[in-house]
Amino acid sequence: MANVTIGSSVRRADGLEKVTGSAVYAGDIERPGMLIGKIFRSTLPHARIVKVDVEEARRLRGVVGILTPEDVAALPHPTYGPFLSDQPVLALGKVRFVGEAVAAVAAKDEETAEAALDLIRVEYEELPAVLTPEMAIAEGAPILHEERVWPHVVWSDLKSSDYRPGTNTCSVFHLRKGDVEAALASADVVIETATRVPVVQHAHMEPHAALAEWDRAGRLTVWSSTQNPSVIRAQLAEIFAVSHSKIRIIAPYVGGGYGAKAHPRIEPVVAALARKVGRAVRIVLTREEVFLTVTRHAAAVKIVSGVRRDGTIVARTVDALYDTGAYADSGPRTAKNGGYAAPGPYRIPNLRVESSAIYTNKMSAGPYRGFGVPQVAWNFEQHMDELAAELGMDALDFRLKNIVGEGDEIATGERLHAANVRECLVRCAKAIDWSAHPAGASRQRPLPRRLARGKGLSCHIKSTFTPSLSLASGRMNEDGSVVIYSGTVEIGQGARTVIAQIAAEALALPYDRVEVVLSDTDVTPYDQSTTSSRSTFSMGNAVLGVAVDLKQQLMALAATQLEAAPADLELRDGMVTVKGSPGRALAYPDIIRARFGAGLGALLGQSTFQTEGGKLDPATGQGKASAFWFAAACGADVEVDVETGSVTIRKMAMAVDAGRALHPLNCDMQNEGSLMMGLGTTLYEEMLFDNGQPTNPTFLDYCLPTFLEMPTEFESILVETPHREGPFGAKGVGEVGLPAVAAAVGNAVCDAVGVRITELPITPEKVLRALSARWEIEAGR
Amino acid sequence: MTDVRVTVNGATVSVPIESNWTLLQVLRDRLGLKGTKEGCGVGVCGTCTVLLDGQPVSSCLTLASNADGCDVLTIEGLGADGRLDPVQQGFLESTAFQCAFCTSGMIMATKALLATVPDPSDEEVKDYLAGNLCRCGTYIEVLQAVSRARELARSAS
Amino acid sequence: MRRFDLIEPSTLAEAARVLAGEPELKAIAGGTALLVLMKQGVFLPERLVNLKKIREASYVDFDPVRGLRFGALTPISGIESHAAVRRHYHVLADAAHKVANIRIRNLATIGGNVAHADSQSDPPAVLVALGARVAIVGPSGERWVPIAEFLKGTYETALRPGELIREIAVPPPAPEEEGVYLKFVTRTAGDRPCVGVAAFARCDRGVVESIRIVVGAVNPVPVRMTASEEYLRGRHVSGRVVEDAARLAADAVDPIDDDLRGSRWYKRQVVPVLVRRALERILGPAASREEGS
Repeated sequence: MANVTIGSSVRRADGLEKVTGSAVYAGDIERPGMLIGKIFRSTLPHARIVKVDVEEARRLRGVVGILTPEDVAALPHPTYGPFLSDQPVLALGKVRFVGEAVAAVAAKDEETAEAALDLIRVEYEELPAVLTPEMAIAEGAPILHEERVWPHVVWSDLKSSDYRPGTNTCSVFHLRKGDVEAALASADVVIETATRVPVVQHAHMEPHAALAEWDRAGRLTVWSSTQNPSVIRAQLAEIFAVSHSKIRIIAPYVGGGYGAKAHPRIEPVVAALARKVGRAVRIVLTREEVFLTVTRHAAAVKIVSGVRRDGTIVARTVDALYDTGAYADSGPRTAKNGGYAAPGPYRIPNLRVESSAIYTNKMSAGPYRGFGVPQVAWNFEQHMDELAAELGMDALDFRLKNIVGEGDEIATGERLHAANVRECLVRCAKAIDWSAHPAGASRQRPLPRRLARGKGLSCHIKSTFTPSLSLASGRMNEDGSVVIYSGTVEIGQGARTVIAQIAAEALALPYDRVEVVLSDTDVTPYDQSTTSSRSTFSMGNAVLGVAVDLKQQLMALAATQLEAAPADLELRDGMVTVKGSPGRALAYPDIIRARFGAGLGALLGQSTFQTEGGKLDPATGQGKASAFWFAAACGADVEVDVETGSVTIRKMAMAVDAGRALHPLNCDMQNEGSLMMGLGTTLYEEMLFDNGQPTNPTFLDYCLPTFLEMPTEFESILVETPHREGPFGAKGVGEVGLPAVAAAVGNAVCDAVGVRITELPITPEKVLRALSARWEIEAGR
Repeated sequence: MTDVRVTVNGATVSVPIESNWTLLQVLRDRLGLKGTKEGCGVGVCGTCTVLLDGQPVSSCLTLASNADGCDVLTIEGLGADGRLDPVQQGFLESTAFQCAFCTSGMIMATKALLATVPDPSDEEVKDYLAGNLCRCGTYIEVLQAVSRARELARSAS
Repeated sequence: MRRFDLIEPSTLAEAARVLAGEPELKAIAGGTALLVLMKQGVFLPERLVNLKKIREASYVDFDPVRGLRFGALTPISGIESHAAVRRHYHVLADAAHKVANIRIRNLATIGGNVAHADSQSDPPAVLVALGARVAIVGPSGERWVPIAEFLKGTYETALRPGELIREIAVPPPAPEEEGVYLKFVTRTAGDRPCVGVAAFARCDRGVVESIRIVVGAVNPVPVRMTASEEYLRGRHVSGRVVEDAARLAADAVDPIDDDLRGSRWYKRQVVPVLVRRALERILGPAASREEGS
């Protein structure tokens, strides 16, 4: 039977609210008696807190209460964090980054709260700070976390992370395969590439916002712009020693997350402040505060590969330092994810990977679209072009010679299934009219006077968070319409729509007969998170399970009424029918009425979907890292102005293996998002610091790509290799393409003008400096 | 406090304000019009776009006092009798949104553009809307939405 | 934002009187620069003089004899869209159009732009190249100052305490003069310029009769490329001549270091490139480089 809604780009369920400005975000919500909260922040990168004096602030008219470190120290559990529970609700004892929360004020309005911040006096004893990973791991460096920290209760994959308490190395991921030293020694060619990426912002348009309200019975409700309601609940439950059933987290529409809202950010401090003052409190961060809250990990990566003359890669080593900021946050996982992705989508029998998360005195780095892979892909895909150049091979041919395919063993020892990176790469190459040529040919060519053209490719595979758990429930009402309850958050990706499509498809209903209730922990069952491009697969499977549960109930009931065996029945057009006998059918409302009586009843459905794996050997990194793998590629066709170094993107192609594109337009739009975010961090974005203080924390000084920075042409390519466990074969798409953007552009720039930029962003100045060095070299010849 | 008299979405109201309030604060906090957003506070992102006497401005950088005697149009003022404005309809049909935090601003800017240049080229649209950021990257669909809005406006007239 | 009081005069004369009485008082026009500083807590005035409601100060007048005059409170979008400006001073309209985004241009005023004297701005370079003059009102009456003297440094102008800009006047357009404004950015389109080049020239049968080249956004104030101009004046236009003239521009600038948009080294590299490209645009086809030259 042909699909009813799967595979078609149905009109999105959230459209009307969004085009009328009536979609509600956390910062829009008002509660009776609500106060406005503001956070008092550290101005030093590393210091002991000697004294916090809030007396004058407390006396300001309109200030209702102030949360201090003493209040926080008295909480049952004053810290939280996705990996280690090391982030204090307010700084305790010392501050570890400029911007860290030291106190919080609740006042009748924003202006009063701001005025109160001016009256708070903190005395610090400054400590030496470490501002880069290199400084942090140097002999004698000041230590950010002197004591061992224990993991957060909910997830703990500490064992494979080589946690090193009492040092500034938070964790190290190790991967070993074969005999790397011997293989490198016997290789015909050995090349090293070293790269860096800076700290960047997620730059979701909606700043973090949260509103907390405790009722007289001790129940807490938090409306938050979060990607992670279930985990927020668990962390708050631990902080306040309150049972999960007394905490309600509601994520309304979220104005972009991209990982920045994947873990507790301001919810703990808002909840603590609300409890202190006994009234609802709302905090909405200013954009400057968002810059102080969470970033993407900066990283320094060094890759060495050995290849044979015939183009076979025989060995690779990867050393990566991820700058995780002042707290562990997602650092160890990010470093691990990037670590086992860094060998690339290639068959390499001998590997050594050391990927570390290092503390520095800056705001936390956290999950960011691509989760550790953008930082290493910037290296390994440019590294591939360098290898190809050394061998005199075409960059596409060299990759295709080594690329993994279905059933091949990848870096973690798993066998790849349904991640067709070869197809993604080939289609991107075609989309940019790739014609075979030796990589590095541009180094032999003279430069044109003004504009140089070049093309570049990049590809990768990426894991998803494993193990992973999604529950869903639903009901069919007496009229046959359906409601699905899902903890997935609508962050713009179209969750509400795809969930409705899956349920509608499985229940043979029109798409608009299914309503979806999202992300309210009082109503929607546990979902691990809306991250890691996991929702279509995990929540999709859970929703499919709910639909199957309802379907089985309908069929069991109908079997009696139709006097047929359930095995002889099927669903069609909102009815249960006997296969081959279209006349013998019962519509869903009739089935329910026969069961309960006229105008009564409902059917309830539920499902649990859990993926397994994620345990990797601590020494070798071998194991099942991921329930399923993503594959993607990018092709870039660029123009370089050799007199100014400016890079213009003529065409970008991005291919992802979606498994099955349930809503093709949504998939394309995710690729557009990956593209523009990728281009932003490739060409324009960088956070600058002065002794730990961000110096460009506004959109005036931190530039994001606009309509005018769109490539002249963009082609989104959806490859479909059905995954045997995905709902209707589908996987995720959200972040999959982003990691390939930077290296595709970097490779294209090198193809155009024969210089390789190793530090993002690719600014005109960097290109011009590299070109000048090249001309100087040539002039000297 | 002083009073400003401002016509918002066709209704004239008198609002007591402090000197340091912005138009954005008046719209969101005094008049309960939450459709206009704050994204950056410095006039770059465009999520706070409203039409002031028909001209798009950053309401986050407009002193409330300067709206005295002016006409303000916000997203809530578009469409009538339950029908969508052609620009809104165009955005809906083209799925020109993802998280939609930028959408109110995009729609208001588009409205202003089409009032000035009824038949803009793609280049003109990109240039005019370049001041409205979308991190979700929905630029292609917005261009399609503007096209669709023009068609709808033409067939309506 | 912290609390402050707004004094709201309805005429420029009144505004000038208030400012003259309290030299520490600052005026706010469009607010696009000042309000950002106030939100950041960098500038915390207790009182401000709001000029925005002085309707008499927002106008654009053109006549072929007197030239162009605009009131200080004219929004930048008013300059960009005015028919006479687009017809007779299209370079100025173009530079105005390139400022930030349409919303900022609807709020920001030309007087505010000039008085704020942000080094990295577009209109000042063109105004300097056009030989604009600034009318200042203050306690000692009214005076006119050529814009090149008015702009003294980053955020520094010839305004004395209690003074305000009343009007900016631009001489009548020179006949048969070609002009261009190039805004060069190293990041995204709406960003402040890394380099701006305003150039005007008139040629007669391939010989440069008049030439003015101004580089903005590089030095603290826009700067005339007098060496390049002197080289070009009276010369026959060719690709080689234009290149040589442009090369002189590299030493004529003393760039501000900017971590975000370009170092001193970088600006010195690209200034001659952009000057050359501007000259190619206004000196005719002979100005372009031949292949292989």
